[in-house]
Order: sequence, then structure tokens, then C-alpha cells
Amino acid sequence: MSIGEVIIFSLIKILIIVGLLFLTVAYLVYFERKVSAWAQNRIGPNRVGWKGVLQPFADVFKLLLKEDIVPEKSDRIIHALAPMIALFVAFTTFAVIPFGPDVKIFGYNIPLVVADVNIGVLFILALTSLGVYAITLAGWSSGSKYSLLGGIRSSAQMISYEISMGFSVGGVLLLSESLRPIAIVQSQSGWMWNAIIQPIGFITFVVSAFAETNRLPFDLPEAEPELVGGFHTEYSSMKFAGFFLSEYANMTIASAFIVTLYLGGWQIPYIDLLGLPSGLVIVLQVGAFIFKLVAMLFFFLWIRWSLPRFRYDQLMSLGWKVMFPLSLINIIWVALLIMVFGL
Amino acid sequence: MALKSIKRREKDLTFLEKLYIPEILKGLTLTFKNMIRPKFTFEYPEEKFIPPSSYRGRPVLVEDSNGEERCVACGLCSRVCPALAIEVQAGETEREKERYPEKFEINMLRCIFCGFCEEVCPEEAIIMSKDYELAFSNREDAIYGKDKLLVPISQIQDKIDFLRQYK
Amino acid sequence: MPKIKIDNNEIEFKPGQTIIQAARDNGIDIPHFCWHPELSISGNCRICLVEVEKIPKLVIACSTIASEGMVVHTQSEKTIAARNAVMEFLLINHPLDCPICDEAGECKLQDYAYKYSVGESRFTEEKVHKQKHVDLGPRVMFDGERCISCSRCIRFCDEIAKSPQLTFVQRGDHVTITTYPGQQMDNPYSMNTIDICPVGALTSKDFRFNARVWDMSATKSVCPGCSRGCNTEVWVRDNKILRLTPRYNPQVNSYWMCDHGRLNTFRFVNAEDRIDSPQLRREGQLIKVGWDEAFAEAVSRIKSFAKDEVAFIGSAYATCEDNYILAKFARSVVGSSNIDFVRRADNNFGDDILKQNDITPNSLGAELVGVSPSKSGLGIEGIKKGIKEKRIKALYVIKEDFINVDPEIENMLSKLDLLIVHASNQSKTTSVADIIFPAATYAEKNGTFVNFEGTIQRIRPAVSTVDADRALDGFEMSRLDKFGTSFDRWARGTKHDAKATWKILTSLAGLLGHKMKFKMAEEVFEEMASIEAFKGLTYDDLGEHGVKIKTGNVEEKVNA
Repeated sequence: MSIGEVIIFSLIKILIIVGLLFLTVAYLVYFERKVSAWAQNRIGPNRVGWKGVLQPFADVFKLLLKEDIVPEKSDRIIHALAPMIALFVAFTTFAVIPFGPDVKIFGYNIPLVVADVNIGVLFILALTSLGVYAITLAGWSSGSKYSLLGGIRSSAQMISYEISMGFSVGGVLLLSESLRPIAIVQSQSGWMWNAIIQPIGFITFVVSAFAETNRLPFDLPEAEPELVGGFHTEYSSMKFAGFFLSEYANMTIASAFIVTLYLGGWQIPYIDLLGLPSGLVIVLQVGAFIFKLVAMLFFFLWIRWSLPRFRYDQLMSLGWKVMFPLSLINIIWVALLIMVFGL
Repeated sequence: MALKSIKRREKDLTFLEKLYIPEILKGLTLTFKNMIRPKFTFEYPEEKFIPPSSYRGRPVLVEDSNGEERCVACGLCSRVCPALAIEVQAGETEREKERYPEKFEINMLRCIFCGFCEEVCPEEAIIMSKDYELAFSNREDAIYGKDKLLVPISQIQDKIDFLRQYK
Repeated sequence: MPKIKIDNNEIEFKPGQTIIQAARDNGIDIPHFCWHPELSISGNCRICLVEVEKIPKLVIACSTIASEGMVVHTQSEKTIAARNAVMEFLLINHPLDCPICDEAGECKLQDYAYKYSVGESRFTEEKVHKQKHVDLGPRVMFDGERCISCSRCIRFCDEIAKSPQLTFVQRGDHVTITTYPGQQMDNPYSMNTIDICPVGALTSKDFRFNARVWDMSATKSVCPGCSRGCNTEVWVRDNKILRLTPRYNPQVNSYWMCDHGRLNTFRFVNAEDRIDSPQLRREGQLIKVGWDEAFAEAVSRIKSFAKDEVAFIGSAYATCEDNYILAKFARSVVGSSNIDFVRRADNNFGDDILKQNDITPNSLGAELVGVSPSKSGLGIEGIKKGIKEKRIKALYVIKEDFINVDPEIENMLSKLDLLIVHASNQSKTTSVADIIFPAATYAEKNGTFVNFEGTIQRIRPAVSTVDADRALDGFEMSRLDKFGTSFDRWARGTKHDAKATWKILTSLAGLLGHKMKFKMAEEVFEEMASIEAFKGLTYDDLGEHGVKIKTGNVEEKVNA
């Protein structure tokens, strides 16, 4: 493949992924409202379109029409910049997530990932921790005590859970011996899913992912009852929508990342034994990826509508006193597995 | 030894509870069960709630089958009304019951739907109907005069039957 | 004094009193329908049956003369059973439609049915039907079915109104009341029968079906219809007077008042032609202005006249307070002694029951507080003459339709340079006035009237104005008044922008450089108490029935 072709294919993949991501995020909002309704024995949005399916568009439209309020005491530039950072980080991260094996179209061998970076995992970790800047800056620039508290909480939370997250990933890397997401997926062939091999690592990672995405029970930066919305108290209209969308985009990325690292990515165990045509296998595998992703997303929503928020000190003690040691234990466990079974 | 005497308190967690995971799973099971339970929400404007006969909707005045109101403007509803929602001005008529309401107004913003007026009415003339659709855009609209209050008896017969049985 | 024992209470009585009177004087209530303290004893209702020891049968308390050592039981088993029987008997033919009846709420039969009846009727037959809408007279309606034939109304006409017009006809359960052939019950006191009727058989054509008694507030006041000053209660709902009823005052009017006073002395308070804001004449036209503008105009124009060019007309319709402040204003603020008031007498009005020829409520009071010319000043005739001769150029009239006194005054008034009028309603005088101040009526302010006998009595505000708030100024309040908000039509009513005359005058005096520090009518009265006749009196002393004062020779002067 020439460089030109790589650029063209990449652009096409970017367009598809960004488009799909937008759609996913939009419908995730709808889905969240539906799940919350079901969990509370309600029906949920059902007015806009059939069963309310056009609700996300109505939501966006409403936010578009709202007055954009910038507080007098805010730092205007950073105030405007913060939601952009949030969105940028959320969407860029998806570049390195593989959502299927290589496909052959028109004689080209195309990997189903925008950028097959050999340090993909590091890339994701780096970018997601950049996301905290969006929240911290938003909190700081708003010139409001609620926002500031939200921002501070966010950075503290991020630092605390990034550590256990990093150590959990360490367990995965020990097994895959690569930082390439595709290699990680491939290392989990059959039932060798990391979630099964290293359940402790899986749990610590999932918990950390919740904390990193500011989802309940870790949504202390927003914490409506105490902080009136936290870092986005002073945001309205499309700037608020930026944060809103990035939260759901982050959630999607976190889910995709969990699927990639622990749930075997696009793989369907032992599908090659069935002797299906390769085209169908690829379609099924992409489908499997999407299915796993959706299941993970549902889990995110489900948790949100089941568990109450942590107290701040509980959050910290969980992060440092439980998650951190557990992720260390996980590394030792994986190392033992490698030593004993030579995986 | 002294340590043993400390009793376990309600708020102390057991080991399993401290693990969090089983408790979280319990919570998740509960919410999931609710998700798949049948819903009983009315989709209101399309699907309307038809209240039972004991329901106390907006008070109405009974218009008898001969087209005359039953009310004799005795003012007992107005007197008993704890919210002072009812204003009655009596007048004289040629009918057998020589008193009739020249003006009968219920301020629906004041009405608290207690049903005392229905209970006190000696003529079975004021009835708490099943009508619950009350919305106004200004205070004046909320004052219902005789034009809005008078309802033909056929429309509230079931409610009257209920009252005869239980009152 | 001899003693009897009623329900174990040893009480004293005056010889000749009946049991019911003796009990009543000592605060023991024996139920009664037909008995009335001011009427002869009829003894036909039987509800006042009591048990007297050593008398085998129950006796009626209203006609049994009390005697030394009598032991009466009003709560014994036998008495209670008898009362219950009487109630059941009365209710046999009485329609049970209190919701329709206008008397509900002030009905003796209704009250006693609660107190003394078991509340069950064994009577299943058809009730007797009688005539229901009977026109007894121009002011009174009669409902034959509701009548319990107590004969109070008949006895009232015979004994108090001294014009026998009513009688029973028929027998047994068909007995009913009617007027004598070719007659109507049109005596000038006919409406008192409505008050004394223990049931809703007699109703006022004027008030019938207008309002429930419990929706109104009742304010103790005095009738301004003549110089008798009958004590009244003013019944108000939605800030509108709906009826007047007499109030008991043994010194003045007993339980009664005349139909004229009852019907004609409150309409002008509710009337459409009330003056609702100060008015000034500008280029020949009266225009409405604010109080401050009217005050400023009045002050600047009064200043432009010499002392003796100004004359003041007080009023026998105004209170003592109003007249006192006017006199003070005339003498010490303006410095004029040309002050007098119009004496009105209608020789066809008076009778020897209550009505007096002097048809103003307060001529004695006006005289007493100094609304009469001193030696150097002009009296009413002098003022008239002065206007003609253009010696009087400015006239200040309070609460008096001056033109009505004498048609020739109309021409005279046009000669004036300035005519200031305090009036509550439009009149001929206000139509020619230069400055009009809206004055509060007797039902809108505190004050005192002195009747022809020299009894000084309180009037109290019953209708609120912009100046006087019902709650803040301590008016009588009905339930509706208490709980109404500005958003309830019934709580709003019509509020006139009127002030008491003395208040208007003190404001003017202040602007003319003479501070009068009165905030309440009571304070004016306290200052007035320096006058010999009112010496040491306060509003508290007047109480509900007023106080008889020494009027000296003034009384003869006025009543002459």
C-alpha cells in the first residue's frame, strides 16, 4: 500500500468511526434514560418519534437553542477550551481500538483499526489521563466554588485510580508481551480471556475505568446534591453538551478498552473450528465486538442506576487501600501463572 | 478479654459485606428484576385514567333531568369549605324550592378536593366528579361559575349511586 | 328580697316577676319562643315548661309568678322530656328545609332543635300545607308553613307599634296569621316583627335571600335616621352593608327600631353616587385630583380671605368629633367665629314611640362641641345674609346638603368666591362646590352621637375604606374577611377613598401651620372631654349602651 492509499483508507475509517461514535453516544444518552426508567418502573422518553427514538436529536436541538452563559468572573478562553479538550480526548482515543481482524477488500489487506500503533495501550492511557485537564480547567475557569471543588475532586480521583488502572494493565501486558491492542486481542484466543485468567485485575480495571470516566458510583466531580453539578455548574448550551457528549464517548471508549483488554476483543472462542467462510467469520467477529461493547455499556448504565455515590473519603480509601494493593496482587498472580504454567 | 465484650453493632459490616462485590450483585439483581417487570404507567393524554367511584375530582353541580339545578343555595358547602373556595349568592325563584343560586362560584385554585361540600350538601346537589383535568392560565379562569359547574345528572349518575350506597 | 331556688341556685327576685324573668336576670336561660321581655305573656308555645316542687304538673315559666321558697328544676328528667315533646310537636308541621329557609343561623327553632330535641321525628304523615308567599305588608313577607303560631308579631303590632293589624285565623293545625280585612301590615315599626319572629316565617323583602347570617360581620353602631339614635347592628359582607338590625338598649330604643331607620340609613353608604376622590373645580368643571393637590389648593385659597370673610357650616349628621374639630379649625386656625349648623326638623316624622321630629342624629352634640356662633360671629341666618351682601366670600360646609335646606341658597352660593364641601355622596351642594373632600360615612369611622335625650353613644366603622383597613383598624370581621386575600373577589368588595371629616380638617390645619396631633377619633374625644358636658369621659366609658350626660340648657335650646 502506498502512503496515499493508507491516508485514504484511514480517512474512510475515521469518518465511519467518528460517525458511529457520535451515533452511539447520542443513543447512549437515550438508552441511559430508558434504562433508568426501566429500573424505576417507568417507561422513559416516548414522545419524540416512535418509542422516543428521536429523543437524542431533540435533546441536542434543545441544547443548541439554549442561551450560552459565560459567568462574569470566568476565564473566557479556558472556559471555552475545556469542553473542546474533553471532546478531543474522547474521540481521539478511539483511533487505536481494534474492532475486528484484518479484512481483505479490493485486494487490500485492511486492519479494522484506524491506527495500528504499537504502543496503543500507552496511547490510550496517556490520552484518557489528559481528559482530566478538561474537567479541572472547566472547574477552575468557571470562577465558581462548586465548579472548582468539582475540578479538584476530579484530578485527585484521576491520580488515585490511574495507578491501580496502570498496574491492572500491567497484568495484561505480561501475558500479551505487547502494547499493540491487536496483539493483546490475539493473545486472548479461545477462552484465554484475561477476564477469566486474571479476575482480580479485571475487577480493579473495571472499577478504575468507572472512576476514570466519572460515572456513578464515582461521579464526585459532578455530585449534584453537594456541588450543584460540579465542574459543569457554569456551563450551558453547546459547551455543556460538549461535556455531556464526552462523558458518554469516554464511557464507550472505556467499554471498548475493557473489551479489548479483558474480554477477547472481537474474538469468538473456537469460531475457526466451525469452518465458516472467512467473510462471514469477520462479520460475526465485528458483531461480537459490538455485542461485547454494548453489553459493557449496559453494565455501565446498570451500575449507575443501582448504586449510590461514594463519600469522598470512601472513594480515596478504596482507591489507595484496596484497588492499589489488589492490582499489585494481580501482577504477582499473573507472574506466578507465567512461572508455573508458562503461559 | 475486654475486646470480647464489645457487641457487634448494626452498622458494622460482616466480611462478605466488606467485600462489596456480593452486595453490589444483590443490588444489580434487584434493579434488573425491576427492568423486566411489566410497567403500569398510563400514557396520559392518549390513555386516560378512569377513576373509581370513590374518586374526588372537581366538584360539580347536579343539573336534574328537568334541566334545573338541584342546588338551593343554602350556603352550607360554602360554610364548611375549609379553603373558602365556594361563593354562593342566593336568589328567589317561583319554583317549589324558593331559593336558588343566583351565583355559584368555586375557586379551583382554593379548592382542596376534600369533598366536605359533597358530604354536607342536603340536596345531593354538589358532587365530586371524576373530572381531574384542571388547568388554567390565569386566576380568573380558575373561578368556575355556574356555566362550568352545572353537569347533567346522567354524567355523574354512577358517582351518585356510589354516594347513596356508602354515605 | 325574696328568693327562689332554680337548679340548686338560690336567686333573688323582685316580687311580681315570673320564673323566666327571675331566671333571666340571674343568667339562667329557660327556652322560650312566644315569651318576649317587652311583650305581654301569651303562654302558647309551652317550651318553657319547668318542674316546680309541690306542683304536680309542669308549669310554664313565662307566666308562673315566682314566690318565696319555690324550688324550680329546669334540667330535671321530666322537664327535658317535656321540652323534647314540645319540640317534636312543633316540628310536626314545620317544614324541615332549613337549607332553603332564610332564618337558618339565627333561628330559635333551629337552635332549640339542636339543644332540646332528640333529632328524630315519628311523624310520617303528610304535613299541613299553608300559603307560603304571603305579602303581609310593603316590607314584610310571611310564610305560613314556617310559622309556629307564637303570636309575637301580633302582640308586637298591638302593644308596641300600637296599630293592631295582625291576627290569627282558622283553628287547630290550620291556624295561620293574616292581616285584618282590607289592611296591610304597614305600620312604621313592622319590620321588628321579623327580628322577633323565632322562625323564618316573617322575612324582610329587602334582605330576603341576600346573605347567610354567618357570612356577615355585625358591627355595633347607632342609627343616624333621627335624634333617637336607636342602637343598631350593621351587617356587612363583601364590604357592603346588607341590613341593619336593632340592638337592645334599655335607655334608648329597647329592642326596636323604625322601618325608616332600618331601610333608609345605609343605602347611601353603598350607593353609586359616592364621592370617591377629592375634586377641584377647574375652568368650571369638577375634576378628580389626589389628596395632596386638593389640600394644597384648599390651603392657598383659604389663606386669601380675611378671617371674617370665611364662614363654616357644621352638621348634625356629623359626629361630635367632626364638629369639634371644625369648630376648633374655624376659631383657632382660620380665626372666624361665623360657625353654625342647620337644624332640621320634620314635624310629620316624629311619633310617641321612637321617632323624633329632629331627623338628624347629632344636633345636640354639634351644639355641645361648639358649632354655634359666639357673640361676635354669625349664625346660620347671618351667614346667609352675609353671603347675599358679599361680606362672606368663602363657605366651608361639612356633610350637609346645604342647598336642600332652602332653595334660595342655590342662587346665593353662586355669589361665593370659594365653597369647600365635605360630602360622602353627590348632591346639589357638591355640584356647585369648588373643592370637594370625600368624607367617610357614619358606617366608616369611629365617633359619637348625642341623642335628643343627651345620651352619648359610639358609632363604629363597619365598612372599610382606603383610609381604614378592616383588619388593622380592628373592625368586626366575618370568617370571609379574616381569610380572604386580595385575589378573592369576595374579600375585595368596593373600597371608597374617603376620610373622616376630622382627619381631613386636621390635615388642613397642619398645612395652615396649626399642628393638631390626632391619630384616632378616640384622641379627639379625649380632648373634647375638656368640655363640661363630656367631662372625664372616654370611649371605654361609653361602652355598648352609651352614657347619659348633663346637657344643661343646651337641650332645651335644641329641642325648642
